[in-house]
Amino acid sequence: MADEITITIDGREVTTEPGKMVVQAANDAGIYIPYLCYHPGMKPYGACRMCVVEIEGQRGTPASCTLPVRDGMVVNTQGGDAVQVRNTTLDLLLSEHPHGCLTCHRIDLCGPQDICLRHVDVVDRCVTCPKNERCELKDTTRFHTQELVSPLTYQYRNLQVETKDPFYDRDYNLCIVCARCTRACDELRGDVAIGMTERAGQVLVGTVMGDSLLESGCEFCGACIDVCPVGALTETAYKWERPARVEQSVCAECPVGCTMTYEVNHWERVVRAVPELNAPANMGQACFKGKFGFDYVNDKRRIRKPLVRRDGELQEASWEEAIAAAAEGLAPHRGSAFALMASPRNTNEELYAAQKFTRVVMGSNSVDVASNDRPGIVEGLQDVFGYFAGTMTVWELADSAAVMVVSANLTEEQNVVGVPVKRAVRAGTQQLIVVDSREVELTRYASLWLRPYPGTDPVLLGGILRCIVDNGLADMEFVNERAEGWDELVACLAPFTLDAVAAETGVPASSIEQAARLYATSGPAALLFGGDSSIGGTRRTLSRIVAALAVATGNVGKPGAGVMPLYQGANTQGALDVGVWPPALPGHNLTQESPEVREALSALWGVPVPLEHGGGNRHMFDHAREGRIKAMLMLGDHVHYEDGTLGDVLGGLDALDFLVATSAFPSEITERANVVFPSEVWAEKTGTYTNVERRVQPLLKVAKNKRVDSRSDLDVLCAVAQAMGAQGFAWDGPPQVLDEIAQAVPEYAGISWERLLRERLDIVTTPSDEPQPTQVMYTGNVLTGLQWPCAPEGASGDGQLFVDRFRHGKARLQPVAWHSRPEQDARFPLMLAHGRVLIEPGRKPNVTVVGKRNRVEREERLVLNPADAAAAKLSEGDAASVTTADGTERRGVVALSDAVPAGVVSLTTLFGELAVEVDSSDRPDPMNHIARLNAVPVRIEPVQCSGGT
Amino acid sequence: MTTTSRPHGAPDDASPGSLRERARRAIEEQPSPTVTVLSSLLAAQDELGYLPYEAVDEVSLRTGSSVNEVWAVASFYPNFRFTPPARHSVEICWGPTCHVLGAQPILQGLVSHLGLDGEGDTEDGSISFKYNTCLGVCPHAPAMSFDHELAGRMSLDEAVSRVERIRAADVEQSA
Repeated sequence: MADEITITIDGREVTTEPGKMVVQAANDAGIYIPYLCYHPGMKPYGACRMCVVEIEGQRGTPASCTLPVRDGMVVNTQGGDAVQVRNTTLDLLLSEHPHGCLTCHRIDLCGPQDICLRHVDVVDRCVTCPKNERCELKDTTRFHTQELVSPLTYQYRNLQVETKDPFYDRDYNLCIVCARCTRACDELRGDVAIGMTERAGQVLVGTVMGDSLLESGCEFCGACIDVCPVGALTETAYKWERPARVEQSVCAECPVGCTMTYEVNHWERVVRAVPELNAPANMGQACFKGKFGFDYVNDKRRIRKPLVRRDGELQEASWEEAIAAAAEGLAPHRGSAFALMASPRNTNEELYAAQKFTRVVMGSNSVDVASNDRPGIVEGLQDVFGYFAGTMTVWELADSAAVMVVSANLTEEQNVVGVPVKRAVRAGTQQLIVVDSREVELTRYASLWLRPYPGTDPVLLGGILRCIVDNGLADMEFVNERAEGWDELVACLAPFTLDAVAAETGVPASSIEQAARLYATSGPAALLFGGDSSIGGTRRTLSRIVAALAVATGNVGKPGAGVMPLYQGANTQGALDVGVWPPALPGHNLTQESPEVREALSALWGVPVPLEHGGGNRHMFDHAREGRIKAMLMLGDHVHYEDGTLGDVLGGLDALDFLVATSAFPSEITERANVVFPSEVWAEKTGTYTNVERRVQPLLKVAKNKRVDSRSDLDVLCAVAQAMGAQGFAWDGPPQVLDEIAQAVPEYAGISWERLLRERLDIVTTPSDEPQPTQVMYTGNVLTGLQWPCAPEGASGDGQLFVDRFRHGKARLQPVAWHSRPEQDARFPLMLAHGRVLIEPGRKPNVTVVGKRNRVEREERLVLNPADAAAAKLSEGDAASVTTADGTERRGVVALSDAVPAGVVSLTTLFGELAVEVDSSDRPDPMNHIARLNAVPVRIEPVQCSGGT
Repeated sequence: MTTTSRPHGAPDDASPGSLRERARRAIEEQPSPTVTVLSSLLAAQDELGYLPYEAVDEVSLRTGSSVNEVWAVASFYPNFRFTPPARHSVEICWGPTCHVLGAQPILQGLVSHLGLDGEGDTEDGSISFKYNTCLGVCPHAPAMSFDHELAGRMSLDEAVSRVERIRAADVEQSA
């Protein structure tokens, strides 16, 4: 088949590819064919009949969205028959759609902010449609100059508007049943939380038995809202706001780095987020955090002015005063008495400046990013491969034949990574292995779900590796050619016999063998791991084994194969790249082991780089309590300090002599600070983020909260450094910092701000005055970013790392240790594996209305191994409670299952509960305060019935 | 939007004899070699007389579809019902032959006699009244079926008296 074919559309010759549908070929060539049910990226559907065209030599008017192009095809989009069919279709659509917005005589008289003068019925008014002025149906009708012969004679369906669910409003009175939403939920997301109901004249979109989205399996990703052509599906927040302009930037919620188009209104408020259709990192997808979690930019509670502590009280000060106070306060604490904690929402430029400030100005190595509380999961990768990074891209996962997800809660933490996996599993092209003691969303899609005792993942993966070796499944050609240390590694695997691993982890030996086979023999296989249930030091072993598994099976450097560490934080990768981590310098080099790099950096910075160990993350606060650290600078949103993963943060801060904080919001941290700078949030910044696939993406200023006199952390760092007399901080904005990063970090060589703005996909779209889906309208110049190590300009970059060689030539396989289960505190003998799923088949939750909102209510089940139940004198159906060491209690009904390993209590709650909690939270940025689901020690006790209440 | 109401949070009972268990068995014991969403829904309705949420959920579990997909199929067909049926069934044929030979007056008479707006269940829960496109006994038109027993050459009076007999027996049974 030819790669290119030529067809004629409206007399114009158009070159296109075989397999494309006529409507897309025309749109790609800038010729507009109206459509309402078609959406790029989804399968042809042919429901609305708006895209009908005439084809020379063919009878009738076929729908161009289901008609593949044929060489020599002659298409006439403006034929009389086709236009008439379209007009009739529109007539029929409008016969059930309120359309006062098209017929009111004041359409051209009213200004955009005018109050409706009530010329039409309430349900008919343009102002009672949230999509007024951005409605595809309205635009299409106008485009057609439809003659509305019988205005306002339409049938109002009088359906109740659904506003009780979190984030979404659903008004099916406005629905035109194009099925874009149900197809998005099904084809794009793999959830099928909504479907078409009833038939013929009654057909509508709905959930099973009209249930709330909280119980239908919805993940609140917003994909259905993004494709809805009318006002039927809208975001509850800023529902009525109109965009004054749109800006493209990168989401700051997780390391996927979704490119989003943000709508900004006349008051400089960010009012809507629409995932960019053609962005390489997210392909038009987003998640509940990115889609609904941007509101904190606009928040009124932000810190408005710099604050300086005078006479024990924080008082407003000018920027100059605050900077002088910070410089003066920090000056006596140079050396190891200083530590800096950055935020995962800091840009690469800010992070680079932060580590340079710490090392050059303060002479300390204690610099870390708050989200990097599990450095082990990248340390092992650096040991073996050479970089603190994953090896593959997100959307490659769609081509993987097998994917193993180890202790990672993708749906909540790196949502879009799960999308290609779910799609491929549903398409039947992928085997999914989930290794997790919790029940998470992906377990529903898994061909194999292994439930190890929490914390024993390294042992289990070691068992899988040994099983691969023992059964001759290893790719020895790859190992011999590309790796060293294989024999030593195999020798270390001696204790990992199938029986020993099965006994230690509680996973049956047969399942371990099956997992080994699936991973090693299915084809290109990917390994995603989060280390959620692992404990401290074992994570490095985990990531070493992960790397070894990939090397042993030859699953590195090939399309669809690789490993991906799943950490938190939008720019954690950037932090690791630019050396915001005590033991490492910019460029993935360990300070103590690379004297030549230290020298080069000392030359670049003009100051010797300190050699002594710095304290990272939670050690910082321990050191502060011990008095070894006396002054700290904390950047950005302080969000990782509450869940206990960083230790006793506040206790550490209380012990400090001097604390400088930059923050957008007042917090317990700013309360303790001596100087507080109001900082910009991600939407106000310019800079770059590096995502989990090593894609350096430009962050462009979206809007500026006008109430706030804020500056970026980069400005603050540079100003303080200069006030302290330091050289090398006189950058003229983030682009210049990026240039210096490209010098200091070899992987970033070739990346510059100018180039990042040049690297774009030029998507041809039809002129914007023609009606189009919002996502199509907003796409066009998509900034793709650059994946490091980056190819020279003009050449296409490779998403795969290590295609020919590893960083140091060969992969350096590392010996691995056997980590036994940690000793359990006798008072808390069981581990609680708390999971969360979108829907739990076989059980029905209770949804009640509290106030005006839906809430999930159900009796939770505490699932136990029968042996543990017997020991605790519990039997099926008993009421029981689990209590953690910090006194948190959860109640439920005991259920018994052999699938739960001995020593574990499994509790699975519903995502709907979390959605409600986040939606009803009054915190400025609730998305950042979602507690992770970590396994914790508990004790279980029967709950005595009080004998009726 | 469907108007079907379902008692939310009905106990999740999987004990033998429960709705869920009966639905599960009916779906598993389908004689047909090809098990589809539709065949499973039919099997569940044959067993239970209607499709409660539990049945939809069980079909989704057996067929690997989402509950919403199963619902999309179930809600498409008017032959599926989602509330428990009344204790007795009365059907009237409104096929062409019966129509020509006078089904309409009987139909309308019965509807008003039963206090209904059309097809549906009587308020006391004794009778489910349904229209049938063809009962297959055209030579005996106009035809009806009372608790699945066919009756031909109906008149309104005859139909009303049959219905009343069923009701009387129902009252006796309940007492």
